[in-house]
Amino acid sequence: MEAAVLFIMVLGLLFLGVPIAISLGLSSVIAIAFFSSDSISSVALQLFTASQNYTLLAIPFFILASAFMSTGGVARRIIRFAIACVGHVRGGLAIAAVFSCMLFAALSGSSPATVVAIGTIAIAGMRQVGYTKEFAAGVIANAGTLGILIPPSIVMVVYAAATDVSVGRMFLAGVIPGLVAGLMLMIAIYVNARMRKMPKQPFAGMGEILSSAGEAAFGLLLIVIILGGIYAGVFTPTEAAAVAAVYAFLIATFIYRDMGPLKGIPIRKEGESIGSAVARNLWLILVYFLPGCFHSDTKKVLTDAAKTTIMLMFIIVNALLFAHVLTSERIPQAITDWMIGVGFNWFTFLIAVNILLLIGGQFMEPSGLLLIVAPVVFPIGLELGVDPIHLGIIMVVNMEIGMITPPIGLNLFVTSGITGMSLFRVVQAAAPFVAILLVFLVLVTYMPVLSTWLPYSLMGPEIVTRP
Amino acid sequence: MKRVDDWVTRFEESVLAFLLAAMTLVSFTQVVARYGFNAGWGGALEFTRILFAWLILFGMSYGIKIGAHLGVDAIIRLFPRPIFRAFAVFGALCAVAYAVILLYSDWLQVFGAHARGGAIDYWMKMYKVGIGLDDLRYPDLIQETFGTKERVQRWIAYLILPVGLGLLAFRSAQAVWQIITGEREMVIAAHEAEDLVAENKDVLKD
Repeated sequence: MEAAVLFIMVLGLLFLGVPIAISLGLSSVIAIAFFSSDSISSVALQLFTASQNYTLLAIPFFILASAFMSTGGVARRIIRFAIACVGHVRGGLAIAAVFSCMLFAALSGSSPATVVAIGTIAIAGMRQVGYTKEFAAGVIANAGTLGILIPPSIVMVVYAAATDVSVGRMFLAGVIPGLVAGLMLMIAIYVNARMRKMPKQPFAGMGEILSSAGEAAFGLLLIVIILGGIYAGVFTPTEAAAVAAVYAFLIATFIYRDMGPLKGIPIRKEGESIGSAVARNLWLILVYFLPGCFHSDTKKVLTDAAKTTIMLMFIIVNALLFAHVLTSERIPQAITDWMIGVGFNWFTFLIAVNILLLIGGQFMEPSGLLLIVAPVVFPIGLELGVDPIHLGIIMVVNMEIGMITPPIGLNLFVTSGITGMSLFRVVQAAAPFVAILLVFLVLVTYMPVLSTWLPYSLMGPEIVTRP
Repeated sequence: MKRVDDWVTRFEESVLAFLLAAMTLVSFTQVVARYGFNAGWGGALEFTRILFAWLILFGMSYGIKIGAHLGVDAIIRLFPRPIFRAFAVFGALCAVAYAVILLYSDWLQVFGAHARGGAIDYWMKMYKVGIGLDDLRYPDLIQETFGTKERVQRWIAYLILPVGLGLLAFRSAQAVWQIITGEREMVIAAHEAEDLVAENKDVLKD
């Protein structure tokens, strides 16, 4: 009874245009006020203590690192590197666009940011050499969703926080599925390109590969720091995120110089010897270090990252409140008993999870949805013998597909926004690739080894303590 | 009035940027101190967490002000203009209700709820009791000159609860008024990338 009132209230408020966070929070507060004897003081305190969760503390740092990495030229450098590597095969530019999205996804962890950063450059480039706009937009809209699957990913951090599995294992678990999804898209493009005789670029030569790799390496080193640091046990995921944020700031301001006081000053001038270039740059960095820290560009990035953090964390805090009400009313327990009583096994259960998330992903922000669904689904999954890490990856892939399916797919809006195509045309353009990602979802759902092999062979199996 | 508005916005943004920067730097220097100098500051983690809570609780009202909080607008947009506006006002009123109940909830008893307490109540209790935080201590210098207790009081950290919720109630009430007078369309953002798309609107249009 109380459960029904709670769910109806949340959905009702949500569809009447109340902010997601307020829908969740207000419903929980009213449920507590009328159905339970807890005092509202303790609920108010929960707003404060929700942020005391050590795992969630990684989120603002990842957002900040991503904000620094999304400024200007990182995308351009990655695209240059990708084209140098794979541009010469048939359909090369489109394949390079997918490759760039995968690399950029690893740096930014945000799907819309990936679509905008890579899309604005790559779509224009593809059109110049003769691809149709539909094809280019479809490729980017889909490849952009890899942002939340390829680590580091904020959605994974949220899943880890909700279910107490390790963030490090979740990150490693995302690596192989991310590569497989990217490869599937690339193969589809390649086959398509052979059939339709799509253009290819001349081979740029090893020199170009090496020089573009050198430029992109400063940015890509970020992934090595995060994953390597966590895996080697040098620091916790939260600390890794803080280090990544500082590193991203240093690279963006003093090496890439797309922002800050050194903007427009080249690393090496025409005809300058290496020795004098090194000396000049060291001097520049020394002199401009403090101005760089307090530059207006730096403040703007900080403010933007703070806005994103607030938007996301306000939802998360209220979703935690809601999950707390669910658990204290023993609703997950009731649903588990019911599902097992009805005779669900792991196979049918995973289908049910997929359908639930694909529908829910239409209306909810991924992290918020995950926090509501995870406490309900996780215990059932354990009961039915589904691996907790595997379940997490399934959920992330579902969120990913939710971003490119109408009516409310975020990447569709973004692609439509930057290309000026109507939403309907973008949906049509994206559809063939969405079909591929759906096949990928089936693969990930029923081949647990894709997600579990890497983390378990590197870090040992996940041990779950039952609440 | 416009000048004051700009000044307030700049103040809010500076505070948010400062809180985020401080969190990052404290966490980063902790890692460096541990590996570089085998040292550390015992209160660092608690301090970072408090900054994080301040960032969220101070920022939530700013989020209402700039319309950054996500919501679903697809359904209410199907209705004609006046009904749409009524829903938009309702959305903002819900935010007011949320903030007010969490601040002080005893008035809900009128409706038969057994609610009591709230952020104000809790904070007053903490202020009276005056117990300290777990790890965060005053530096020796301050302890000696001002004769404070050893540990920083909890009420200082929790101050943001009543303040943040109060600001949320204020900004939401302001939004209600702005929607009624037609200055503003609604309180929510339809999706998280609205700014990003607006900046790059139609850059690839032929």
